[in-house]
Amino acid sequence: MSVAVMIAIFIILASSYNLVIGYGGLATVAHPIFFALGAYTAGLLAIHTGLSAPLCIAAGAIVAIAASILLAASALRVSGDYLLIASLGFQLGLLQMIRNFEWTGGPGGLTDIPSTITGAARTPAYLAICGAVAAATVALIAWIVRGPYGRAITAMRDEELAFTALGRNAMNLKIVLFAIGCGIAGIAGGLYAFYYQYLSPEQFDVLQSATILTMVVLGGMGTTWGPVVGAALLLAIPQAITFLDLPPAIMAPAQGIIFTGLVLVFLFLRPSGLIGTSGRGAMPAALGVHDHSGEGT
Amino acid sequence: MDQLNIRRRALLQGAGGLGLAGAFVGRAAAQGKEPLKLGITEPLTGSEAGYGADFVTSMRMATKDVNDAGGINGRPLELVVIDTQASPQLGINSANRLATIDKIPMFITAWSAVVKAQAPVANREKVLELSVGANAPDIAKLGDYVYTLFPLAEVDITALAKYTYDKLGKRRAAVAYINNETGIDAAKLYKAVFEAAGGQIVLFEAYDPKATEFSGMLLKMRAANPDMVHVHGLLIDTPLIIAQMRQLGMTQRVSSYSAGYNPKLLAQLGPAAEGFIVTSLAPGVDDNKNLPGFLERWNNEVKRPPNGLPYLQYNYDSVLTAAKLYKYVLDKNQEPTGDALRDALLAIREFDGPLTGKTIVDGHHVKKPVYLLTVENGKFVPMARIDS
Amino acid sequence: MTDPIVLLQILWTGAVTASSYVLLTVAFSLTQKVTGLWNFAQAGTMGVAFYAMYFLLNDMGQPLFIALPAAAILAGASGIATEVWGLDVLRARSSGNLTFFIFTLILAELIIYILTLLFGTEPQTLFPSILSPVHIIGGIAIGDWDLWAVGISVSALVALQLFLRVSNDGQFLIAVADNARLAELYGISARRAYCVTAAIAGVLITLAMYLFGARSGITPNSPMELILTAVIGTLLGGMGRVFMGGLASLILALIQSYSVLVIGSRWQNLLIYGFLFIAIVVFPRGIHLPRRRVRLPVAQPG
Repeated sequence: MSVAVMIAIFIILASSYNLVIGYGGLATVAHPIFFALGAYTAGLLAIHTGLSAPLCIAAGAIVAIAASILLAASALRVSGDYLLIASLGFQLGLLQMIRNFEWTGGPGGLTDIPSTITGAARTPAYLAICGAVAAATVALIAWIVRGPYGRAITAMRDEELAFTALGRNAMNLKIVLFAIGCGIAGIAGGLYAFYYQYLSPEQFDVLQSATILTMVVLGGMGTTWGPVVGAALLLAIPQAITFLDLPPAIMAPAQGIIFTGLVLVFLFLRPSGLIGTSGRGAMPAALGVHDHSGEGT
Repeated sequence: MDQLNIRRRALLQGAGGLGLAGAFVGRAAAQGKEPLKLGITEPLTGSEAGYGADFVTSMRMATKDVNDAGGINGRPLELVVIDTQASPQLGINSANRLATIDKIPMFITAWSAVVKAQAPVANREKVLELSVGANAPDIAKLGDYVYTLFPLAEVDITALAKYTYDKLGKRRAAVAYINNETGIDAAKLYKAVFEAAGGQIVLFEAYDPKATEFSGMLLKMRAANPDMVHVHGLLIDTPLIIAQMRQLGMTQRVSSYSAGYNPKLLAQLGPAAEGFIVTSLAPGVDDNKNLPGFLERWNNEVKRPPNGLPYLQYNYDSVLTAAKLYKYVLDKNQEPTGDALRDALLAIREFDGPLTGKTIVDGHHVKKPVYLLTVENGKFVPMARIDS
Repeated sequence: MTDPIVLLQILWTGAVTASSYVLLTVAFSLTQKVTGLWNFAQAGTMGVAFYAMYFLLNDMGQPLFIALPAAAILAGASGIATEVWGLDVLRARSSGNLTFFIFTLILAELIIYILTLLFGTEPQTLFPSILSPVHIIGGIAIGDWDLWAVGISVSALVALQLFLRVSNDGQFLIAVADNARLAELYGISARRAYCVTAAIAGVLITLAMYLFGARSGITPNSPMELILTAVIGTLLGGMGRVFMGGLASLILALIQSYSVLVIGSRWQNLLIYGFLFIAIVVFPRGIHLPRRRVRLPVAQPG
């Protein structure tokens, strides 16, 4: 059942990431760092102050939002393509700082985050909470992209030049979307911190970026249920593979090979992912060509 | 008529008694077969699997030996093994599963980061977490349900630092350590002990785990003029540092901890490794009469040399320790809960392991003799044995 | 710590160690220049090159003069295969940057997992010993490996420069880099240019991995870290400026080495990311030397 809690948390992460890259078309890989900011903020506040868990989590989300605005405002004004590398550098730089400061627990990790719910009902209670937040996230994102902003977002993503020419501010919209997505990731981080009561920098590294990216791509970028399916599959399948009883030295790389192989297959044969509209021709707009001005080689 | 009744009653009573006795015997027999479970969380996959899988093999051997000798009060010991990939997150999941779903009151684990991550679970669910192999000093402070059966860094580092001052006569030590949980606290400990003995630490530098170029740090070190260098790192960086030291013309003797006790290092360094000092917390074949037999059995069953032999010795003995805890609790007719097992651990205190000798569990600390080895003519040879 | 010998030693050792990074950066930057792509799959190529050499040298007992060229051919071939069967297909579909990023990153991971399966995760060096003879010249320790590193990288860079300037293929590479569609109109095959670039990158990467593997343990995961420095060097040098990227890597490595005199070693990595961030925000087109060419002042936003 704790796997179910992890699935719920990753649904939140994958969905919020999907909002950023699937709907917003913002090529970033730094989602785990906002997850980390939310987690560490919530954890540190819980350890050093007496604030209640929901407040700590909210604070985590605010920190994540602030950081995302900082990153987006700096990198986006240069060019959309730079966001990719900038976000990578941002993530790794912040992680390096976390590793080197003693008050974050350093490389050994932040431990002793206080218990909030105890007793036999703990995991079911957390499952209920995380599940509720996951459902709320999916619903919120669905509402955003289908509501009045939905068309603006699609227009901005698909034809930015025209969008700007019509007097709409693409940059602001991008920053807002980014902030929302990262804020939600911050909430996921807070939940994570209270459930596992232990954080370490390794959990938020590039491998995590690739994992969340895989979930979104496999599930279907730019769809509502895609990230949900992707998250569930990516976390459940390793459990299943364990039953194949392969020798240990083969198991881990075998899992990796299967997943990366799957992503590549999907990328070429079914870019829309599991949930998206089928056919090789149907490619989510986020994966298609953008008309970015300004950068030549 | 009465005689018939009496006989019938006797028969009935007899039958009843037999039936009851039969039921009793049946239940005892069933109970005799009901296994006692021991959770094991180790990396079976991932980068540390080479060690983790061997740890588990060693523990399985011990379990077989326990069961072949009749089990624990007739009940077999059963291992429930879960893969952690040496990842704290998976460690937490596995601990949760063992505690809440499998309801196993005791588990053995390793890798400092995993041990620390699992501690809140053990404390919350009141199951006994036994760390075997991890050596971060703050494992001693993780809570009332977390104990180590393996000496923490304080044991071998303290012995090494003192020996360096007292017996080797060194007065100016330089410490270079890897900037992660392997290096940080252990290096601080070395510094504290060496300074307390009267020595001076002329350089105390952490290096990035991914660094491969140490000339800046080594030149700083050379300028500080140490007479001894302690390197607290891992498999990639330690030989690099020593090699680069030698190539910069630094001839000081170098020491490290048990991770340096690795023949591959000798191959990589060649003559640069002469005089290299390492620690080991388990007795070698000359100090332990059971070890040759274990090695032979290992070679027959696994058909290759073991990874991390000293750790395997501890893992083997830890299973026997766990069996002793169960026996102690059952002999007192107590329910084997985490609390009872923990109290048993603290009450028994002294455990005689066939492969590691006598171990004293002093609360959250374990004291064991430290073996120092050095490199002579390209081989590790025993240098000293330090009893605490 | 202002002893000139010490400073010179750091300069020498730092520059020599940087040579491998310079080669990797040049390979990455050249690919970025010609194809316009941030080709993270080169991390996979690094792994292929190293383990091919390792296998040939240790398991097959082959001498270096066979192992190294064979590995270079394999590395180049894997790059070309990625081009032809991967990147070309995505180009034909007008895929966006995100797709290329996902593809190259995931491909690199796939290769790394396969290498892990085949070779395990223990660090390996190409040769059993990582030491090489050292000579003290003027108080500076200069090792044989150092001389090899400098010799190999300088030769490779000179050869590349000549190739780009003098040979037809080299000229075509530049043309395609400037404007692929226009070049095709002139009968220059963009695809051929991309393949030649992949082959060159393969050679440079193999040389770099040889230098790394001769003195340090490599695991299947090492390339992922190495490629980050290549990315940073490329950014700092400026997109499209291949040799400046190499120079940027060199300078960055020297700054890291010298910084140890002033700050703790553990902050060295943070320096790199700090530079990366500054580079992106303040110098998105790379750091320009003022006298290079006449440029109209470009208004920097914000």
